[in-house]
Amino acid sequence: MNKFIRVDMTTLKVTTEKVPEKYVGLGGRALTSNFVNDEVKPTCHALGKNNKLIFAPGLLSGTTAPNSGRISVGAKSPLTGTIKESNAGGSFSQKMAKMGIKALVVEGIPADDKFYVIKIDGKRVTIDEAPAEILGGCGNYKAIEVLSGKYGEKVGIALAGPAGEYRLPSANISFKDPEGNIRSAGRGGLGAVMGSKKIKAIVIDDTGAGAVPIAEPEKFRAASKVFAKVILDHPVAGQGLAAFGTNVLVNIMNEAGGLPSKNFTTGRIDWNDNISGETVNATIKERGGDGKVSHGCHAGCVIRCSQWYPDKQGKYITSGFEYETIWGLGADAGIKDLDEIAYIDREMDDIGVDSIETAVAVAAAMEGGLLPWGDGKAVLDAVKQIAVPTPLGRLLGSGTEAIGKACGLFRVPVVKGQSIPAYDPRNVKGIGLTYATTPMGADHTAGYCIANNILSLGGFIDPLKKEGQVDISRFLQIGTASIDSTGCCLFIWFALADSPEGIQALVDMINAQYGLSLSVEEAVVELGKSVLKVERAFNKAAGFTNAHDRLPEFFEYEPCAPHNLVWDFTPEEIDEVYNFEGEEALNS
Amino acid sequence: MSEETKKTIEVRGFLHLDAVFRKKNGSIPLIMELEEPITGTALAEKLEIPWDEVEVIFVNGFVQALDYIIHPGDRVAFLPPGCPGPYRLALGFYGKNQKNEANFKIKRK
Repeated sequence: MNKFIRVDMTTLKVTTEKVPEKYVGLGGRALTSNFVNDEVKPTCHALGKNNKLIFAPGLLSGTTAPNSGRISVGAKSPLTGTIKESNAGGSFSQKMAKMGIKALVVEGIPADDKFYVIKIDGKRVTIDEAPAEILGGCGNYKAIEVLSGKYGEKVGIALAGPAGEYRLPSANISFKDPEGNIRSAGRGGLGAVMGSKKIKAIVIDDTGAGAVPIAEPEKFRAASKVFAKVILDHPVAGQGLAAFGTNVLVNIMNEAGGLPSKNFTTGRIDWNDNISGETVNATIKERGGDGKVSHGCHAGCVIRCSQWYPDKQGKYITSGFEYETIWGLGADAGIKDLDEIAYIDREMDDIGVDSIETAVAVAAAMEGGLLPWGDGKAVLDAVKQIAVPTPLGRLLGSGTEAIGKACGLFRVPVVKGQSIPAYDPRNVKGIGLTYATTPMGADHTAGYCIANNILSLGGFIDPLKKEGQVDISRFLQIGTASIDSTGCCLFIWFALADSPEGIQALVDMINAQYGLSLSVEEAVVELGKSVLKVERAFNKAAGFTNAHDRLPEFFEYEPCAPHNLVWDFTPEEIDEVYNFEGEEALNS
Repeated sequence: MSEETKKTIEVRGFLHLDAVFRKKNGSIPLIMELEEPITGTALAEKLEIPWDEVEVIFVNGFVQALDYIIHPGDRVAFLPPGCPGPYRLALGFYGKNQKNEANFKIKRK
């Protein structure tokens, strides 16, 4: 990957440069975060002319490495004010990599009020006016259909939905998946940054592109084979995710008492059967039709945790029906009907809003009296209003913190302005440390992949106690920052954590592709630490201090049933997460 | 908790065991009579659940090893291998699954 494309929306000029030397060895999150830290003014307004939006495939994207098709998107976040990296499946990353594009940067803001489509193919990059029919509230499903008709069925597409056009802080960037459905770089409002730059869509056509060059093809093939076997042999891939999707966690977290419910007032519900992964699986099988229990979000995915959820007649409603969305609407907002949740999920995808931010905002809106508790029909109507947008729609699309302020609530589950997802930090304490300290704002995916030996660290962890949790959160965040840079899905780590040969195979693939000889320590631990350092540096320059690395106060004095615990980490203990041993502390 | 309740336990099965329990018992949770304490392994045998299909059990909301002692009045759930992510770490699975037969499915022998 040797091309670095910059699109200046102020002048509507495109320049294609050679990749700057310092970015040659980087991909995915490592590249987007380094770039944002280097070129974006930390104190800029996220929707102003000085913010820049960068798209980057991972180090392994475009190759035959299993599960390596994630696209990273970076910018300063309008939701959190921090640096942001959000990633997604679909075909965009693999097409960029095959075309040799290391990064696509969009900067500036046009003087006029038109929306544009950036089109990239093997010969040129063009900036066209967006077709009127996909503007002003047109849903993403329809927009993908129109753009695929105009530019070709096989093109990759990145879209700012109606929420992005309106520059709402919950707006995501939606990516066309292999079947023309939607995958989302969901968190942090990057769709609003895209909308602020008047980009409605980016279309990529890789016709004529060859394979990604591999320095040592035999070594790559051998490592890739080991990597795939480790993933497929593991029961998380083979039994858990493929059959039940991520929503397998509803019953598990509910049983553990860590399923935040009714706007974080309890950790367990009695209607979990209505919304569990097991029920989703049984419903899809029973209804048949378009329904698929298992489905990959990008070519080369061997875990296949996605699914197609059909209606009673077997017609497709939504895909990528994730645990956090179902939790947010089903447990946190108390909607007990799975079909109602599915239609709301589809609507959120169609409008282009983060389904975690929006679901948590819905629950807060219920507590604030804006919506009736558990009323799926009222929620669907309210979410549809984001595409108009009505005042209620704008408010919902602005996220949980905005709802909390508008309704005068103290129970507002956010960190750095971003909603806390589906694991209650009072009863699952380690996750709380990650919510508090990640540079991204509350994000469960910021602490997913452990960088050190999981058994020596994990053997003594008690979810209700503090011991060991600081180290675990630190190592999880380091490992995750590294995996986010490879283009690999975080879910590979479920298997790799239990299989040292899998981690080695991952590093062997990177070495074989680039002709390197990195150790696991260099490729995973050191890379991960370096990414976190630049992200913390950006946030510090943007005005963030340790005082922002805190959970909302209500967690300290409202016990969470059934274990009736509160959040009890002291500020000093929380600050230890980013006190890397033997190195300059990353604290502000 | 009444004396009547104390003579029973609530049992759930997750992942594929959810369908197995429903097929056998019609609904979840299964309410079983239990006069004396019993180990998770013995309960699994009673319910005809192979040990290698259970990574850990939940007892009253806490993750426990399969041989943990279950008492009348307890709420129990059998969890097969397949729980994703850092949650197996965060919920304490790694301290409880090491002697378990199911572990061969996770860490090949």
